[in-house]
Amino acid sequence: MIDWVWLAGHLDAIVYRTWQHVYLAALGVAIGFAISFVLALVAARYRLLYSPISALAGILYTIPSLALFAALISITGFSVVTAEVPLVMYTLVILVRNIVAGLDGVPAEVLEAADGMGYTRRQRLWRVELPLAVPLIVAGLRLATVSTIGLVTITATISDAFGGLGYFILDGYHRLTFLTEMYAGALPSILLALGADLLFVRVQRRVTPWAQARALEANS
Amino acid sequence: MPEQAAHRAAIVEYQHVSKSYATAKLPRSAPGAVNDLSLTVPAGKICVLVGPSGCGKTTSLKMVNRLIEPTSGRILIDGADVAGRDATELRREIGYVIQQVGLFPHQTVGANVAVVPRLLGWPAARQRERAEELLALVGLDPALYRDRFPAQLSGGERQRVGVARALAADPPLMLMDEPFGAVDPIVRERLQNEFLRLQAELAKTILFVTHDIDEAIKMGDLVAVMQAGGHLEQFAPPAEILAAPASEFVADFVGADRGLKRLSLTRVGEMALQPVVTARAGDPAGEARARTFADPFPYLLLLDPSDRPIGWVNQRHIPGTGTLAPSLATPMSPLLDRRTTLKDALSMMLDADVQTGIVVDRAGRLRGVLTVEAIAAVLRPSADPEVIAAGTSGAGS
Repeated sequence: MIDWVWLAGHLDAIVYRTWQHVYLAALGVAIGFAISFVLALVAARYRLLYSPISALAGILYTIPSLALFAALISITGFSVVTAEVPLVMYTLVILVRNIVAGLDGVPAEVLEAADGMGYTRRQRLWRVELPLAVPLIVAGLRLATVSTIGLVTITATISDAFGGLGYFILDGYHRLTFLTEMYAGALPSILLALGADLLFVRVQRRVTPWAQARALEANS
Repeated sequence: MPEQAAHRAAIVEYQHVSKSYATAKLPRSAPGAVNDLSLTVPAGKICVLVGPSGCGKTTSLKMVNRLIEPTSGRILIDGADVAGRDATELRREIGYVIQQVGLFPHQTVGANVAVVPRLLGWPAARQRERAEELLALVGLDPALYRDRFPAQLSGGERQRVGVARALAADPPLMLMDEPFGAVDPIVRERLQNEFLRLQAELAKTILFVTHDIDEAIKMGDLVAVMQAGGHLEQFAPPAEILAAPASEFVADFVGADRGLKRLSLTRVGEMALQPVVTARAGDPAGEARARTFADPFPYLLLLDPSDRPIGWVNQRHIPGTGTLAPSLATPMSPLLDRRTTLKDALSMMLDADVQTGIVVDRAGRLRGVLTVEAIAAVLRPSADPEVIAAGTSGAGS
């Protein structure tokens, strides 16, 4: 059933494709987060802009990725840009909404206390609002990362140069469903997604000890 | 700078301050509006703004630290118009306590208390020191509480941390908006008492907002009663508000039991105590018996060798010969001290079903007795304790 000889002969390729997978996903989430962060701050500051920003991110999310690749290839060619644009786009809807929800979730009395004690607007944002939004921001990053790890596989349709582990899935499929190769792509990519998920749970606990204190208190 | 501000209290003056929320649709007196408010809070006093919801008391408070800007008029702190100050700098010099406390959930209790010192750029060691000092001041053991998060505190503990935080930079002025409103009555009572004790030492100028007239009377050196539409109805010491309400609104607001409320304003120490026939345990009984029969009050108060009351002995139970044994006495009257309010004293006497309370000093030695009749005399409308005259006078500026 499993072609061990093929596996043994392709270990280097599997390791390479795994790293490529991580790289493509991480780059997409990082750029997506940078854009979302700015958009969310703008939306939180100028409330009127929130609906259009959120709607735009939602519309981008509905564009089929294959159609997008086809359209982009004519502009950006077979470059990494073509692979990353859809990945970045799909993170926006999750990240913008979570960051804004995190900022909105800061209790009114906390803001009033901050103002009353003499925080400037900027100090309040960076020292009070954003730290308190961290749990929802990390939750958004977690979701965006897991979904991006899944999406990286389809960048294999652009060219052999991309796709990370998706390369094996597509290649195995083209060889009249060579299952061993398809598993070699699918299983590590599932493990990557699970690993990223666990990593974010860890990070979350690490950076928000106060939220753990609250959860403990609520359970006791 | 903060060092120099220590032990200084500010004078706050409202000069014809109005705040209008009027719009085309709501032309007049929207909730929270303030109408031509003029009053002066003397340095080191607690001034309570009290009134029904929407009367503008919170608006009046927030105009001091410029969380709300007045439509017209001026507010002066130590003679300087707050409108001329940078709002954030101004706020760092004014303590601020709100009902929901608003502690920062992501910071430890210690960091929460040190918020203003941190904004002012104090060195880290000094921030920590100050936070610990203040936690101790509000009755929270720093070693136990410093590293906890707000979610791990009870409601009462949170309020204490809120007060400690407001005091951190030793501000000459504190604004407190229903600071004890979010806790149960027992905890509230305790926090109020602790705060009054604290204030007796700190002597800050305090503007205190509440909707609860009992709290206003208890906490205020001066009480400003406000009515819907932001009108100041009366500004006077609490005793005067109770004794001579300036308007029907004030009389209604303080309630039909305002006579009773005056009892909570007077403390046992302000009353003239009555003497009582006493004897020490071991004294000759016959002589004590004769003295007790000579007095209209049919009981002898038996004391221990340090003059601490043991209990009452009915004149008929005093033996004619021998000495007085402690076992003769029935300890049935409540013990009062100088700081007990007449309200509490009366309540303790009613609970014990007696007519007389025994007043003792700090060491437990007898000072005299207080009777129900003496307390009743305070309730009579003609009784006007000197408290009124002694209080700070003068409404307006």
